[in-house]
Amino acid sequence: MVTTRHFFDKELEDLHQNLIKMGSLVEESIERTIIALKKQDVEMAREIFKDDDIIDEMERSIERKCMNLIARQQPLAKDLRVISTALKIITDMERIADHSSDIAEITIRMAKEKYIKPLIDVPKMAKLAKDMVNKAIDAYVRLDLELALSVCRSDDAVDELFYKIVLELINLMKNDPKSIEQAIDFMFIAKYLERMADHATNIGEWVAFVITGEHEHLSRHMDR
Amino acid sequence: MDKNLKLYTKDLNLFYGSTQALKNVTVDIEKNKVTALIGPSGCGKSTFLKTLNRMNDLVHNVKITGEVYLDGSNVYEEFDVVDLRKKVGMVFQKPNPFPMSIYENIAYGPKIHGIKSKSRLDEIVEKSLIASALWDEVKDRLKQNALGLSGGQQQRLCIARVLAVEPEVVLMDEPTSALDPLSTLKIEDLIDELKENYTIVIVTHNMQQAGRISDNTAFFLHGQIVEYDQTEKIFSMPSDKRTEDYITGRFG
Amino acid sequence: MRIKPQIADKIATTIFNIVAGILVLLLVFFAGYLIYRGKSKLNLDFLTSEPNSIEAGGGIGPPLFNSIYMVVLSMAISLPIGLAAGIYMAEYAKPSKVTKMIRFCIEALASLPSIVIGLFGFLVFVQMTGWSFNLLSGALAVSLLNLPVITRISEDAVRNVPLSVKEASLALGATHWQTIVKVMIPCAIPGLVTGLILTSGRVFGEAAALIFTSGVSGYPLDFTNFNPFDSSSPLNPFRPAETLAVFIWKVNSEGTAPDARTVADGAAAVLIICVFIFNIASRVFGTLLNKRFAGKTNN
Repeated sequence: MVTTRHFFDKELEDLHQNLIKMGSLVEESIERTIIALKKQDVEMAREIFKDDDIIDEMERSIERKCMNLIARQQPLAKDLRVISTALKIITDMERIADHSSDIAEITIRMAKEKYIKPLIDVPKMAKLAKDMVNKAIDAYVRLDLELALSVCRSDDAVDELFYKIVLELINLMKNDPKSIEQAIDFMFIAKYLERMADHATNIGEWVAFVITGEHEHLSRHMDR
Repeated sequence: MDKNLKLYTKDLNLFYGSTQALKNVTVDIEKNKVTALIGPSGCGKSTFLKTLNRMNDLVHNVKITGEVYLDGSNVYEEFDVVDLRKKVGMVFQKPNPFPMSIYENIAYGPKIHGIKSKSRLDEIVEKSLIASALWDEVKDRLKQNALGLSGGQQQRLCIARVLAVEPEVVLMDEPTSALDPLSTLKIEDLIDELKENYTIVIVTHNMQQAGRISDNTAFFLHGQIVEYDQTEKIFSMPSDKRTEDYITGRFG
Repeated sequence: MRIKPQIADKIATTIFNIVAGILVLLLVFFAGYLIYRGKSKLNLDFLTSEPNSIEAGGGIGPPLFNSIYMVVLSMAISLPIGLAAGIYMAEYAKPSKVTKMIRFCIEALASLPSIVIGLFGFLVFVQMTGWSFNLLSGALAVSLLNLPVITRISEDAVRNVPLSVKEASLALGATHWQTIVKVMIPCAIPGLVTGLILTSGRVFGEAAALIFTSGVSGYPLDFTNFNPFDSSSPLNPFRPAETLAVFIWKVNSEGTAPDARTVADGAAAVLIICVFIFNIASRVFGTLLNKRFAGKTNN
């Protein structure tokens, strides 16, 4: 059975493909920025910085496409939720990419120094965040409620790692005042990664909205 | 009975000969709200509208079972048809002014209901034309033939004509489908004003119009009501997949 | 041979124009010739004096009056009945065997020859009633002729009123009868006027049905006597009343006066002119009625 609104459905397909592409670019930026951080690779960091422009451009073009669809196709019900969610998701993704750039900036700044501690938890956090982004986009395209909710639940693990890193860094700073500068830089890096996970959680919440029609805030828990 | 219900039907069935056009339609129409009836062509929404003011009585071999209530009284058993149509007015799809002067068109209703005094009629004509946002455009040419007005003006004239008999409910059968976009919007604004004093039931093919002006929406399909809820809900998160498919335009 | 479409179009247009022109010319010629032949008699004296079958100089006063009276009387009888019947058929009759039967009767009646109606009239309205030849019998006979036509035209005129207008009236709470009287009949007036013109013209010119009902005589008449019960008053419908058409027939076939030829021609001219006048007057009347109902128009 062929349904009507063939053209509109094709446009929605294109929209999804664009979101998937943007998602994979974002994931890549997370991965590369951690590699650059570990290897203290200034060249790579600079590239990450430059490539952020591509992601910004993608956000703008997807945004234009969504506005176009709203103006011309008068979407209602689920179509409307899908398109307005796309508008929200690209903002979160662009922020995640921005944070990757921020980390790259710090990498460049610390390039000449030796790290005060080996990088163990930071790469763990990055991997979790990257997975969350991957799952969130997947959940959006497949409209998988369970997957979306699992993204929101993963935020807890990231937050735990964040607090662990902060405590460690505070200890380091107390014991060796010379390490304060680097420690602060690492705290920023940890914060950026924690923020990336929060943005990924937002994406999960919006995906849940498309499916249930309700937008609930599942990320902030005040039990600390 | 809930005093917010102006009209309600219970298990309403309608047959044209052996064809069933309405199946067990049970619906409440809220007072002073705009209720939209949407659905594909031939799904029964216009037929249903006409059961509310018994215009179906004019068609041969129509059989109706079930009940329709206006303010708690059974429309088919406790009401005289003439009284009913005084309380429940109707505006049709194609503007149908009488081939008389503008004044005589509006005065027609009050006259047949016994009002003879010229001053009273003048008052009613002016009041109705003001209420239908047409007074300023025609106040200097009340004696001219109504057919000389534009389509949008004619439709507003028909609305004024209905208002002149002081109804409580106004039924509208696709009132703007024959009009240009500007006239359509003027009439939509009018409907928004009217609902303060009247209960309005409107059949429309135009989804966006239903979205713009109605408080409640009923989705008809094959003579049945598939879903009936607040417009906000129907248009953002309908419960039934058939409603969702219709609203998003996905017909298979 | 294949003709180009544009040329065929031009040929067709020309042919239609020619046909229309022929029709107009026919009317002008026909009417004009008769009026021309009778023009010598187009004076007030001719129109008011009594016919003279012996000497020259007779007029057509009484026959002319009888014709006009006949139109009025027969219209007064057939219009209301025909209109009512037409309204019944258009608005009240349900599709059924009975309705089909009624329609068949109306159409059959419409196709009866006028001489047959005349004979029927003679038997019923003249002999059976014992009235002898009189104007009323003639009016009744002619009414029989016109009834089916008026019924049909009324029915069509009422049916042609758009359903939307009827619905609008009913939806405002008007009863069926109110809708018919206040909206449908006024809308149907132009069609009804056409019916009026057609049928009254027929009355004016009818001869066959009247020869045996209203008779071939009808004077002397005292035009100052306004008492309709007096036998010499022109207003009395129970007197023999030769109409203008019958008069023309009589003068042409057995005219004994020396100027019979010119009298007949003059009468014919007057008859045609009367029909024209009536035609125009009815249209004007119809338009006035319509204006009063419809209000002013922009053009």
